[in-house]
Amino acid sequence: MRKNDPQPPVSCSDYSLWEKRMLTATFLITVTLSLLSLSIGKYPLTPALLLGGDPQAVRVFLTLRVPRTCMALLGGFGLGIAGNVFQTVFHNPLASPDIIGVSSGASAGAAFGILFLSPGIFSGSSPGLSSGGLPVTLSAFCGGLLAVILTLALGSLSRGRFSAGKRDASIVLAGIAVHSLAQTLLMTLKLLADPEKELASIEYWLMGSLGGISLYRLPASLIIGVFSALGICLLHRQILLLSLDESESRMLGVSVGKLRLTVLLLATLLTAAVISNTGLISFIGLLAPHTARLLTRSSRFPTLLLGGLWGSLLLLAADILARSAGSGELPVSIFTSLLGAPFLIWLVIKGKGEP
Amino acid sequence: MKKWISILMVLTLTFSVAACGSSNAAPVESEGTSQTQEGIEAEAEASVNEQTIYPVTLTDQLGREVTIEKEPETLVSGYYISTSLLLALGCKDRLIGVEAKAGSRAIYRLAAPQLIDLPSVGTAKEFDLEGCAALKPDLVIVPVRLKDSISALEELGLTVLAVNPEDQKLLTEATLLLGEATNTLPAANSLIRFQEEQLALLADALKDTEAPSVYLASNSSLLSAAGPEMYQNSLIANAGGSNAAAELTGDYWAEISYEQLLAWDPEYMILAADASYTVDSVTGDPNLAGCRAVKEGHVFQLPDAIESWDSPVPGSTLGNLWLASILHPQEYPEAQWKDAAATFYETFYGFTPDLENLYAEE
Repeated sequence: MRKNDPQPPVSCSDYSLWEKRMLTATFLITVTLSLLSLSIGKYPLTPALLLGGDPQAVRVFLTLRVPRTCMALLGGFGLGIAGNVFQTVFHNPLASPDIIGVSSGASAGAAFGILFLSPGIFSGSSPGLSSGGLPVTLSAFCGGLLAVILTLALGSLSRGRFSAGKRDASIVLAGIAVHSLAQTLLMTLKLLADPEKELASIEYWLMGSLGGISLYRLPASLIIGVFSALGICLLHRQILLLSLDESESRMLGVSVGKLRLTVLLLATLLTAAVISNTGLISFIGLLAPHTARLLTRSSRFPTLLLGGLWGSLLLLAADILARSAGSGELPVSIFTSLLGAPFLIWLVIKGKGEP
Repeated sequence: MKKWISILMVLTLTFSVAACGSSNAAPVESEGTSQTQEGIEAEAEASVNEQTIYPVTLTDQLGREVTIEKEPETLVSGYYISTSLLLALGCKDRLIGVEAKAGSRAIYRLAAPQLIDLPSVGTAKEFDLEGCAALKPDLVIVPVRLKDSISALEELGLTVLAVNPEDQKLLTEATLLLGEATNTLPAANSLIRFQEEQLALLADALKDTEAPSVYLASNSSLLSAAGPEMYQNSLIANAGGSNAAAELTGDYWAEISYEQLLAWDPEYMILAADASYTVDSVTGDPNLAGCRAVKEGHVFQLPDAIESWDSPVPGSTLGNLWLASILHPQEYPEAQWKDAAATFYETFYGFTPDLENLYAEE
């Protein structure tokens, strides 16, 4: 896809300035939204209550409101940069975490957890009852990871049949097969589920929500997420080389197979760490990187960061709406699509992000 | 002439069946009433009115007019609430097919174990048209959500009634409908009288009490709440509570957040009978440590050892009584609902319930 991109502008320094400006602006909007997210919610929190040390207000703020805001901020960032990685590695503008089966694997894993792992199994160590708590989170995480490992293994089996330049195509094909398998598994699990109990939980998980996020569920995912995100940022130069033809990358001294494997696993870990906690969140992985690219028209490091920030911004805004638009909690995916799609369409029609 | 003789025969038969029907089905009300000659005559007359004369045309809960040619000897029920209703009406021996997963219903094991081995006609998600037709029942009872299957069943020559027992009023309607369709109106009326009497007694006992706030959570998650338009709201109201989730809209379970639950800070938390989580997991949840119901040990689960009283089954009245004894133990003591429950199951289902063990063992 990089080949079809418009040529970079004449002066590189201009570009940097524009990138910096975009980054700063997006960062400022994200900070504002974070503050807004901290101040909006169903529990009547006021600065006076918090400063006055009201124990319940402080507890709500620290164990629910702050973790939820962090999850939206970091989760959106994670999905944004993971999406960028998938699109770059597969030379495919439509690539999203699901192209190698992360989301569908995680969905099947979550459904499995909801059906067969009772929350009681970890009751001592795992609070958090919404959507089944830790067993479901773990099961979703393992499901997503398992699907990707299967995809990569199948992709490497077909090594001989694809020419060097088409190796990623074999992974995409394997991903489609694994995706269908996971969907079939999900369908079977849904059929087994009691419509009153588990089916409702599965359906709600598939729509995504940050309503069940609390301090007690965050740390493990946070560590995995931050570790993978850092890895992706550090490897950003090499990831860009992967966007070239495989033979060209090889000439530049890149160990394509190993690098691709590492990068895909990092992006998968990142995605799985987020969605295993929140349920499926649609569109951010696809939309945020494109928005960033359309705005900066480059694929350098600032664009990766900008994509992440756009992910944060979108998820924060969607989550604020999800918790305040209705009398209860609404699924967050409704709003990520609702907010993101028109903006992307506007960017596509406008066509240029130059100053 | 032949016609007159047959009418006369039907009437005679009607009288004799009615006499034994009413004496079996209404032991609740006979207590304390003096049986004068007039009273007996009035009852006999009422019993005549309670007989169904076939063919009968009934309007089902989809508003369809259905003609039942003769008293149905064999029944298929595709919904657990109508199956439970048919048991209460004394039709257990007429059932030849029931909904799927019958084995998971404790009430069937207690009242009519033979139901568990009957052929399954599927679920409300996936109704087994051919399986149902193969049983050749005289009457098929399906929930309204299966309305798309009804015309197919009728084309197969079956008589189908749709029921929609989703709240107390609709349950009463469904009770009368099935009573009339299966010629068990005396039992149906007796069942409705029992429910009305118990609720009247309850309302009387609770008339001077204050309503504590009650949060009722769904089977799937603690953070899935019953709003004011749901059937479960009447459970809370009848038991003398006020719904903590009164601000929710919509007639289905609404997802909420911990924050919202803490903002409502209910005095009582009641978990649905078939909840997939436990009271312990709620009281042990650190996110809820500051919540009033948790601090005061007011987290309870609706009993599930017999049936789930939080769905509109005939025994759901007992759920109101149970909850009242939790919320207002002084005004409505535990013994009172247990008496009512024992009478109910002995009268309508023919078994003595074990009210010491209210929760099914996992």
